[in-house]
Amino acid sequence: MTTEQAPVFEYDASAIGVEVEVGSAEILPDRVAQYLVATGETNPLYTDEAAAAAGPHGGLTVPPGILQTLSIAGGPTAKVKFGNTAFHSGQRMEVLGQIRPGDTIHVSSDVKEVYAKTGRTGTMVFEVRRNRFRNQHGDVVAVSEQAMVHRQTAPREA
Amino acid sequence: MEQRYFEDVEPGDEFSLPWRPDRAQVVAFRAAGNPETAERPDRFTDDEAAKQIGMPKAIVPGAFALCMATRVVTDWMGAYGTLHSIDVDFRRPMLHEDALNILALVTDTLEDGGRPTVKLDVYFENERGERPVQGTALVELPRKL
Repeated sequence: MTTEQAPVFEYDASAIGVEVEVGSAEILPDRVAQYLVATGETNPLYTDEAAAAAGPHGGLTVPPGILQTLSIAGGPTAKVKFGNTAFHSGQRMEVLGQIRPGDTIHVSSDVKEVYAKTGRTGTMVFEVRRNRFRNQHGDVVAVSEQAMVHRQTAPREA
Repeated sequence: MEQRYFEDVEPGDEFSLPWRPDRAQVVAFRAAGNPETAERPDRFTDDEAAKQIGMPKAIVPGAFALCMATRVVTDWMGAYGTLHSIDVDFRRPMLHEDALNILALVTDTLEDGGRPTVKLDVYFENERGERPVQGTALVELPRKL
């Protein structure tokens, strides 16, 4: 009989669920233009003022994905100590409202959870950070989650 | 832009968009967030920096992939559709100049609290037969009057 051992990892549990303001950004027209170029967006809701005015939102809106480009530095971290490498393993976005050109978006973040999974390739420790995006009226327009995975990889042979 | 209606959608419906990401697109994507650091040489813009972390060439930011998947879904649903959520897992790196195909597959249509809702799988395929990105989306569509 074998006993499966729980993976050993350390993190700062006091960071879980503690929301911190991490900054704000104005949705400037030139930034929106860059986003539309990058993604090849041609949706008239984002690009055609007259068509957007006649549409469901009564004016131009901005693709929610632009929130993913905002530089969010210095946010909370659970300081996971596990393995020798970390990478971005997943991203989730819940869209709750419209973003307009010229909006000011305030971002707050917390560490949602830290958990481990053990599979074929070994143990991975996930740290999920959650960002809330509020506009200048205080409305939450989106919530996103970014998962980072920490794992041990074998050293490379020289 | 074509409007999609709930009554016209069935599980198994599929749609796609080819995408060949390049450095200029990645720089533009980063410039939308911060023009000052958009061209900074790192694993997302510079082949040599990417090679230092074991990649054959520069890679595409995961957030960019989420945004492209979002575009595919919002183009499909039309102006009066509502994207409620989208999520993606990154299974393998996407390299600059990869010949990607972004696909979406309707997996369910349901009444969610009276709201006509469509569930989708979204995934990317590359020319090496891999699926570097896999995820799901939840969309609400209008009904025909």
